Amino acid sequence: MSRLKTALGGYAGYQGREGHLAFLLHRVTGLGTVLFLTIHIVDTALVYFRPELYMDAVALYRSTLFGIGEVFLVFCVFYHGINGLRIAAFDLFLKKNWQIQTARSSVRWTLGLTLLLWLPATVIMVRNLLIHNFGLFGG
Amino acid sequence: MSAVNLEKRRSFDQIAWNAMRYSGVLLIFLAFGHVLLQDVIVGVHRIDLDYVAMRWANWGWRMYDLFLLAFAFAHGMNGVRQVLSDFVHQERHMRAVNVALLVVWLVVTLMGAAAIFGGVRPVQ
Ligand code: HEM
Ligand code: HEM
Repeated sequence: MSRLKTALGGYAGYQGREGHLAFLLHRVTGLGTVLFLTIHIVDTALVYFRPELYMDAVALYRSTLFGIGEVFLVFCVFYHGINGLRIAAFDLFLKKNWQIQTARSSVRWTLGLTLLLWLPATVIMVRNLLIHNFGLFGG
Repeated sequence: MSAVNLEKRRSFDQIAWNAMRYSGVLLIFLAFGHVLLQDVIVGVHRIDLDYVAMRWANWGWRMYDLFLLAFAFAHGMNGVRQVLSDFVHQERHMRAVNVALLVVWLVVTLMGAAAIFGGVRPVQ
């Protein structure tokens, strides 16, 4: 357990500014997505194994609680993907961009681009939720 | 701690390191495309058995889902392995983690693939 404390203490206490934030977010969003994905593959597989249960799974996805979770999930996928592309590009072809100033500004670009994709997607998803779960906008 | 075969270990982790990056580039198209389509354009309120049957009537979409399944889940499970290796320092324990993750990965991937090839079955 002291290992756990050391590692988690490092996550919290290290003061690495943008790079630190990018790392933590990459980790959390990756783990969040793979947790969802595991459940999602199994519930999709119901269409073949137990089709009569598939709509019960979809009903969960249509709930307000999951609708909110979905907004975060989409953030996770967008941020993790864009940041992952940044990591892959720098590691594979643009190693000199790991230089501290460039790396820092690239994190800000990553966050900006993520918000640019995520905010419109959120508007649409929240609108769908308000239409179907709250009867707004003529739903 | 038991002796570690550093040569072998390093080469596997090198492959994994590269695989995370190349599969990631592929996943930009596969995962972003899927999420934009299912969550944003279609939305969960329009998804049901008929919808999945309609999509899987097209083998192109089945192959798309198969690639997504293969790459996203392998990438994600290897990511989990990477994260856990920061916490687990004993070779013996890490081997147990690897075996457990391999089993979960195999079982879930096979379930997903069975559904993609088997398609939507009628409700009894
Ligand atoms: C959308 C495109 C994606 C890209 C470009 C991408 C890229 C990457 C890269 C480059 C890494 C390695 C990071 C490192 O070694 O420092 C990584 C780690 C990871 N990815 Fe992805 N990924 C993508 C999608 C996904 C998806 C869909 C999942 C979940 C199923 C996922 C889960 C993970 C996890 C759990 C890690 C380990 C995180 C860590 O070591 O801190 N990724 N990703
Ligand atoms: C909440 C958001 C999501 C919704 C509403 C959704 C919806 C669906 C639907 C309806 C299917 C059935 C097949 C089809 O129509 O193509 C499916 C399959 C699949 N989705 Fe998603 N999806 C979501 C998020 C994700 C994410 C984030 C990933 C990957 C990182 C993903 C990966 C997959 C895979 C691998 C399959 C095939 C599963 C199997 O073979 O059992 N989905 N999804």
